[in-house]
Amino acid sequence: MKSEQNRAPSPDQPQASKTLTVVEPPASRPAAAPVRPGRELPSSVLTPPVPPPPPHLDDYESIIGAAQVEALRFLAADVKGKTVKMVNSTAVGGGVAEMLNRLVPLLSELEVPTHWEVITGGNDFFEVTKAFHNALHGTEYELTKNAQEIFLMYNEQNLQRMQFEEEVVVIHDPQPAALIRAKARSKAKWVWRCHIDLSNPNPSVWEFLRPCIEKYDAAIFSSQSFARQLPIPQYLFYPCIDPLSEKNKELDDSVIQKVCDEFGIDRSRPIVTQVSRFDRLKDPVGVIEAYKLAKKYVDCQLVLAGGGAKDDPEGSVVLQEVKEAAGNDPDIIILDLPPWCALEINAIQRASALVVQKSLREGFGLTVTEALWKGKPTIAGAVGGIPNQIIHKLTGVLVHSVEGCAFQIRYLLTHPEFARRIGMNGREQVKENFLMTTNVKRWLLLFRILSGSKPSPIPT
Amino acid sequence: MPTVERPPLRKPEKTFYFKTSEHLLRIGREKATTLEELLKALRECPDSSIFQHTFRTLQEHHFIRQGFSNDFAHWSLSACHEPILAEQLASVDVREFTDIAGVRGRMVEIVEEFLQEHPRSTARAAHEPFYFCAADLVVLPTPFAPDTLPDFVDALRQVSLHSIHHHFIEARLRLKRMSNDFSNWLEQEVGLRDTALAIERIDIYTNTLEGVRQQIARIVGQALN
Repeated sequence: MKSEQNRAPSPDQPQASKTLTVVEPPASRPAAAPVRPGRELPSSVLTPPVPPPPPHLDDYESIIGAAQVEALRFLAADVKGKTVKMVNSTAVGGGVAEMLNRLVPLLSELEVPTHWEVITGGNDFFEVTKAFHNALHGTEYELTKNAQEIFLMYNEQNLQRMQFEEEVVVIHDPQPAALIRAKARSKAKWVWRCHIDLSNPNPSVWEFLRPCIEKYDAAIFSSQSFARQLPIPQYLFYPCIDPLSEKNKELDDSVIQKVCDEFGIDRSRPIVTQVSRFDRLKDPVGVIEAYKLAKKYVDCQLVLAGGGAKDDPEGSVVLQEVKEAAGNDPDIIILDLPPWCALEINAIQRASALVVQKSLREGFGLTVTEALWKGKPTIAGAVGGIPNQIIHKLTGVLVHSVEGCAFQIRYLLTHPEFARRIGMNGREQVKENFLMTTNVKRWLLLFRILSGSKPSPIPT
Repeated sequence: MPTVERPPLRKPEKTFYFKTSEHLLRIGREKATTLEELLKALRECPDSSIFQHTFRTLQEHHFIRQGFSNDFAHWSLSACHEPILAEQLASVDVREFTDIAGVRGRMVEIVEEFLQEHPRSTARAAHEPFYFCAADLVVLPTPFAPDTLPDFVDALRQVSLHSIHHHFIEARLRLKRMSNDFSNWLEQEVGLRDTALAIERIDIYTNTLEGVRQQIARIVGQALN
């Protein structure tokens, strides 16, 4: 059995050939890079599209049903007029900002006025918070007095600048966590929404932050396994996807065909896809090895669609390793896409016969959620939040090795009825637990509980 | 064959108010990394955790027709690789209990007996821990309040699956009897005892909740015809 630890490139791996399809992101747009020799990057991915306006609650009715939309309205009626402030550290980019961009308008539409503020800070602050972020994920880090002072000083500056007149204040992630010091001068209930995995934090950073966190009225984590023992109530809010976003909305077959044509993907043969940035923890080389093992038995193409290699020095190295592992196989299509290619990713996922997410470590794994939502039979590593989404052989399949992944590719491609069934179950799993509307419901329930309404622990 | 003329259906005296319940998940303090720890936590955790991992998880996974019963059974198989225990725990039908103490007692009994027979399994580390959670429940009204049988069937087809779970599965914890809100109403208000019994017999473990809804609608529809 091969080790599932970070896989270094082996010296005897084949060199990338000219036939390897690589899409380079434009360095400073709009310079187009070749898709294949003689082909240019499709014009659709050269510039970011204009974002569509955020959807309204009624737009979700066709997806979750009128009764569920009605339930949201009933829940909201109980907390109507309650004012909420959400605070995070970035207005654009990243999953938190993406989620707040949809959540804030929906809560406001439900007459729960929600205000979103972003903290400010210098480069030194964000260097410290990035180091904290990595340390909380378990990376070695020496916490210095200077780093502590920088963290607290910028939090204090923001605290002086901001007003906290709302009834609920929600602080996202560690960067603004010390704003809790304003609790003494506000009447609000304070909630800390932690989006990162705290299961194995660097002790010095966690012990530095812990006194702040314990002052909150409640904390929210994305998975049971990400939480810490704390003296405050801890709630479980799974991350979610928006079924109406460019990444997840339904697409006409003509759009899917057009995207596949542009990227040289042959829809007449089975497509196996992994969507993830070029990062060793996503094990793209392991996916190629699994594909090669499976291909001895079944015909298929492999699409590795990701991004970030241009901005991240390690990403470039990993991309090179991936190219070398792919060798001269024309059925391996490697796409290094710009970050605004949500619709293209959507189309590729929908064109796929099955989706792989063979991560070695993972946060929640929203690419798995996206694949499940599209009804795709999904093979994923049993790490991080993935087992929250995939119940083995019921809503997808979990694997622990290259060989296991290869077998499941073979099995799912040759057992379409089983593949169809787990794909359908996977979609229902997302519909029930991981959609934006479920997230809105969780927030409304929490606001209701924080306002003193006693929930029942069991039916009475 | 002579036709047996059935008496006309009674008009219900009381309206059936469809409700629904929503829940927020709390992360509990208990955690198990071995079957021994699971047993200890099963004895000590709050009722709301037992409720979450048995009754409530059925709602969260309402779309699965077979192979999923409760979180304890699932963990015993997927993390502890103990198929015998998993099958035994999965065979616990929550609808045979009218209180959480009964469900807890049965789960504890199964794990205790298993560990007595398989002592080497007691302290073997699970592949991943079991994290106990609990649900904070909020019951909500819905716009559906039928006072005739045809309107009842019509509403049944429109309410959310959470509402079906609330009235059909969770109900016995409220009623403290081996029944459900639908059967209760049909028997007491409409006099349809056989229909009520037929509904009560629907197997929730071999059906999706949508399948349960359709079966209830079909059974009541037969009574209407």
